[in-house]
Amino acid sequence: MADLEIRDLHVRIEEREILRGVDLDISRGEIHALMGPNGSGKSTLASTLLGHPAYEITEGTIVFKGEDITAAEPHERAHAGLFLAFQYPVSIPGVSVANFLRMAINAKREEPIQVKEFRTQLQHAIDLLDVDRSFTSRHLNDGFSGGEKKRAEILQMAMLAPDVAILDETDSGLDIDALRTVAEGVQRLHDEQGLGALIITHYQRILHYVEPEFVHILMDGRIVLEGGVELVERLENEGYDQIRQEVGAGA
Amino acid sequence: MPEGTAEPVVAVKPGRHREATLYHALHGAGAGHGHDRTLAQLREAALAHFYTSDLPVWRRSGFWTTSLQTLDLDALETAPDAVEPGVVPDVVARTLPDRPRAGRIVQNAGAVVHVELDPALAERGVILCSLEDAFRDHGELASAHYSKRLTIDRHKLEAANAAFWTGGAFLYVPPGVLVEDPFEIVYAIDGPGVAQYGRTLIVGDRTSEFRVHEYDLAEDFSEGQALHAGAFELYLRDGARCRLAQFQDWGRGEVYDVSTRYVGVGRDAYCHWLPSLLGGHLVRQHLELAVSEPGGDMAFRGLFFTEADEHLDAFAVDLHETGPSGGDVHWRGAATGESRASFEGLIQIDPGAQQTHTYLQIHTMMLSPKARLDAIPSVLVSADDVSASHGGTVGELDESAIFYMQSRGLDRPAAVRLLVEGFFEPVLAQLNDEPLEELIRSKLTAKLASAREDIEAYATSR
Repeated sequence: MADLEIRDLHVRIEEREILRGVDLDISRGEIHALMGPNGSGKSTLASTLLGHPAYEITEGTIVFKGEDITAAEPHERAHAGLFLAFQYPVSIPGVSVANFLRMAINAKREEPIQVKEFRTQLQHAIDLLDVDRSFTSRHLNDGFSGGEKKRAEILQMAMLAPDVAILDETDSGLDIDALRTVAEGVQRLHDEQGLGALIITHYQRILHYVEPEFVHILMDGRIVLEGGVELVERLENEGYDQIRQEVGAGA
Repeated sequence: MPEGTAEPVVAVKPGRHREATLYHALHGAGAGHGHDRTLAQLREAALAHFYTSDLPVWRRSGFWTTSLQTLDLDALETAPDAVEPGVVPDVVARTLPDRPRAGRIVQNAGAVVHVELDPALAERGVILCSLEDAFRDHGELASAHYSKRLTIDRHKLEAANAAFWTGGAFLYVPPGVLVEDPFEIVYAIDGPGVAQYGRTLIVGDRTSEFRVHEYDLAEDFSEGQALHAGAFELYLRDGARCRLAQFQDWGRGEVYDVSTRYVGVGRDAYCHWLPSLLGGHLVRQHLELAVSEPGGDMAFRGLFFTEADEHLDAFAVDLHETGPSGGDVHWRGAATGESRASFEGLIQIDPGAQQTHTYLQIHTMMLSPKARLDAIPSVLVSADDVSASHGGTVGELDESAIFYMQSRGLDRPAAVRLLVEGFFEPVLAQLNDEPLEELIRSKLTAKLASAREDIEAYATSR
């Protein structure tokens, strides 16, 4: 049994059906890539997995570590060990990165984290993400560059140590240095902590730095093709149109 | 004003507001003797206005009304003699941060109960005392500035203040004196039945530099009413710099606060003024920050947060009488419960105030469907070589920010709390004074906690 089991997931937003029966299994220690053209429903899946209130699940279930979380509150999913790295991280003025992290960590603990333990963890994450120490005293995402925002997302991921992380187009808008840092961060969390990840991306770029074991292609709200890393190369050579034609009958 | 103007009213029943206040106006310590004839004359003139005017009503934009109809003024007493001398109300010790200070003056109800001043500063000519004592001991200095820019006839309570004030605070910082720690001026009301006519006069002489923190506090009480009708004036002479902050929390009792505050910025002087209006049954504030001589500059920051059935009406003026001058106004406010808050910010540039550059921004956040919150910026420009503009946001909760924080493990109330606290930070952080910032933060947190159910209901109804 996989840690995260998505079964026949149908999702609607404002009367429009975006996901039309998605099945997906992800476990700790596995790196999955979910690829697909614009508008295929990738970000909808990401938001739905964390319980965004705007997305309505009309059919199907999401089970995480044996618990049905289809109707759970977002923070309950986070406490259970899910994490979403946002495509567009929201700025939280007035709250420093460090303070926010402390609050997020304490939210799922009975006793607040010791100052020393928190500092050690934070330093470790800072080293991993190659950011300046002063970064953590800045207001979260407030005035951050695109690259800083994505680094801040991975920094939070490292601190919150989820079992399964969903990275929603984390690669978009990143220069190559930032992309490498972010991707290597994910890879190390996988290698060191056994992180399971669903890397959602439109492009192949990030997958040169993090190698997925499983690749899924999403089109028109359904997963139409699955395989190993060889699928990424095929996409690179053939493009989405070719695949669309191939699976056209089934979609 | 001829003497004896007030004579017809001496026959008013004893023990009531009018007679008690009248008695003190005419015979009290600050009644005006010897060389401060101006004070006595002003009191008499104000008294005449007091008797001939009604309690004020403010209307704004046709639909917003601040009315004092529910205030039973005759049931209130100023009674400075009833205040136990030297006893500082508990609310003061409970609230004020324990931190180094240059001095502190505390008025309870109608009387000053505590004055302290760093002896080293006293030696250098700094004066901190009750305004009554200032007229007695430093009459020339007090008279020269007293009521220089305040009016006495715009409404009944303004007249009442000018006629009846007792105690009061006077601060003088001599030329070139730099003071790092704040002077604390405290107005406290320790129970119902009190009309407190607070009166503050501050003069920052040439190139002086100092901080002033005013605290307006009341004990919580469940029955009866109290009134604080304050008048505050601060004058900064050439090159003086002052950071002025106000912490206002009148608690849960039925406290009315109708106050006028004026800050005059002189030549090349600078003032950073941050009122935080955080509690009161009905609060009406007229706040005026004026650059009155060339080269003056100012930053006008403010925040307010109303809850339950509180009513706040704030009118802030960014006035430029001469140029070149600078201004920067930035206010933030939120409302929960069934509270009402109206903020009007006015940039006024007088004829001749050329080369003035100023900006006004107001940001507000509504946290309950029953709360009402208005923010009205306006600009009145009578000079042509200036830049003056305004902006701002009127918002509800940012759902995308809430989801973001929830996805990191914060429950909805915690996310909302953080969002609202963070909302005030751009203003609050500019206080540049950790103990006071912490006090304001904790008050904001407490207000949010008490409105928690309300905010949750609002959130789920959406």
